[in-house]
Amino acid sequence: MATISLMSSDDALVTVERAVAERSILIKNMLEDLGDSGEAIPIPNVNETVLKKVIEWCDHHKNDPPTAGDDDDNRRKTTDIDEWDQKFMQVDQEMLFEVILAANYLDIKALLDVGCKTVANMIKGKSPEEIRKTFNIQNDFTPEEEDQIRRENEWAEDR
Amino acid sequence: MPRQRPTARLPSEAPSETSSSTSPERAADDDTDFFMAQANDSQSSIGVANFRDLRVQNSQSVPVSPIGRLPPEILIAIFSKLVSPVDMLNCMLVSRNWAANSVGILWHRPSCGNWDNLKSVASSVGNPESLFTYADLIKRLNLSALARDVSDGTVVPFTQCKRVERLTLTNCSELSDKGVSDLVEGNRHLQALDVSDLRHLTDHTLYTVARNCPRLQGLNITGCNRVTDDSLLVVSQSCRHIKRLKLNGVTLVTDRSILSFAENCPAILEIDLHDCKLVTSPSVTALITTLRHLRELRLAHCIDIDDSAFLNLPEGRTFDSLRILDLTACEEVKDDAVERIVNAAPRLRNLVLAKCRFITDRSVQAICKLGKNLHYVHLGHCSNITDIAVMQLIRACNRIRYIDLACCNRLTDASIQQLASLPKLRRIGLVKCINITDLSIKAFARRRSNPSVSSLERVHLSYCTGLSMNSIRPLINECPRLTHLSLTGVPEFLSPALTKFCREAPPEFTQQQRDVFCVFSGDGVSQLRDFLNRDETEATMYDDDDELDEDAGQMTGLMDATGINDEDYIDVETLP
Repeated sequence: MATISLMSSDDALVTVERAVAERSILIKNMLEDLGDSGEAIPIPNVNETVLKKVIEWCDHHKNDPPTAGDDDDNRRKTTDIDEWDQKFMQVDQEMLFEVILAANYLDIKALLDVGCKTVANMIKGKSPEEIRKTFNIQNDFTPEEEDQIRRENEWAEDR
Repeated sequence: MPRQRPTARLPSEAPSETSSSTSPERAADDDTDFFMAQANDSQSSIGVANFRDLRVQNSQSVPVSPIGRLPPEILIAIFSKLVSPVDMLNCMLVSRNWAANSVGILWHRPSCGNWDNLKSVASSVGNPESLFTYADLIKRLNLSALARDVSDGTVVPFTQCKRVERLTLTNCSELSDKGVSDLVEGNRHLQALDVSDLRHLTDHTLYTVARNCPRLQGLNITGCNRVTDDSLLVVSQSCRHIKRLKLNGVTLVTDRSILSFAENCPAILEIDLHDCKLVTSPSVTALITTLRHLRELRLAHCIDIDDSAFLNLPEGRTFDSLRILDLTACEEVKDDAVERIVNAAPRLRNLVLAKCRFITDRSVQAICKLGKNLHYVHLGHCSNITDIAVMQLIRACNRIRYIDLACCNRLTDASIQQLASLPKLRRIGLVKCINITDLSIKAFARRRSNPSVSSLERVHLSYCTGLSMNSIRPLINECPRLTHLSLTGVPEFLSPALTKFCREAPPEFTQQQRDVFCVFSGDGVSQLRDFLNRDETEATMYDDDDELDEDAGQMTGLMDATGINDEDYIDVETLP
């Protein structure tokens, strides 16, 4: 079982099974382009804690079938998340968004997808004010603008 | 109004006119129309929208919340997972940044399912003072739900939308060339146009399409019977990326335009010429020969097509892409052609030869060569075919999911009960197979080992006058997936006690037709099942004969399972 080393943004060395790391298309392409020199691959955008979390996910999903055509199917049942992934995503928002950013940077589509679904599920059914509270977002609209948005998008409230 | 500039850390958050990220497409295509039902041809992108007046700059609250670190493309990916427009609107109302990143998803395909919605959408699109330029955000416009209420006046505001990729106007039959042409004009990105049943349309609209839509991939002009070859010829020369073409009932179409499509549009995957009666054999030969990707060819009621359409295919070549061929009512297509079709298109999955009334067992024996590839076969009204050929077919093509043998009145229980051995069979049509008896139907009701549960969903037995409760009751008990059972004109089922579980007869039926109408579907099947089972407890008291029959049925079932199903055995079993 071949392993490789990754170097996190905070200079920690993380050893990981090559097949697991290759869930990341970024790493997979780097290994293909550069060959496995035995040196640690720098992952400058991801710190050790997040990197380990991401690897945990990759390890659990290492035997998943390739994701080709995946997005099309996923679009049908937009926010279904399997049980393990749901548990995996039960982290504070800080970590949740770090994982999403890392999945995006490392090009791990399925993980990015699970992350986005998780956030979407946190949005569903909430009022704008509840959403702002959930994510600590400041309302920067004037009352007139809010009214205008409601007016211009009245049709969206229909169902 | 003073706005904070975005912090340097977050340069990507400032919405800009040019930023348009590829992003997951918006989910939930609930208005499945002709094109959307197909694999997705277009990857339309949703970008960050701009507030119309640039006075609005992005503002970022300090301190940055964790979600504030997400770049627009990820926010868009998140919003794309939302299905309900209400959720999307609530996102728009959260903050300027969220509004800019969600408005494109909300307006990608504005919902025009009812008149009030349409009015609201149209008024925002037409309002020059609106917060966003909504007209530019609409990629899919579907007015089909409003059908006849849509007039040329209705669509005026939408003529500003110049980035539409899919325009669906199915059944908006009051629209004229003016309305549709104005919608199409300037839409260089249009990929799919569905104007089925807009009977006022003429060549004018199609000339507009040819002039404006070089990227068109799907064109459905079903029922536009004033359209002629003249414009279709130009379309075939201008829209050379066409993949799906539906010309059903465009009765003026001739070989001239079809030959041109064959020559100029090599990407065609599906072509439907239902009822294009002027199309003749050379078109068919050309379509099959030149379109390498052709997957689906529908020629129902193209009555001029004859054997030469297929006999003239180049020798020795096979057309492996062809999966679906519909020759309904092409009477001049006979055994020679069918043999050639099977050899030339060995991967056919659906073959419809309904009403090709001159075909014989020779055709059926040729079809056997399709083997496992064949999933769907329609031989209704091919009344020459006999038990022997059908039994061969069942043995050779055991992945058949759908078979129709309506009005094949030479068929008897000998072949029909063999149908039960097809493990994947979901639908059988046996309407007016007058010779079949309870024996055939009981075969379907036998307990089986592989698969252990019957996969039957739809069973059509109307006018099989020999059938009785003795077979229908076990059938519905042993087929839990049954959702449709038609028994119109079967005397034993025409009692009010049973017909009360029936579906309503279609409104156009005469009284005479209503009297014999008997179709159970959906819940009706379950209700009938419950009723018959309730009834059965009483029935067992006096119908000993039936019990014996059922035993016999189970007996043959066992013999089937052990593989004794050669012809000798069948002959023995069908002895009176």
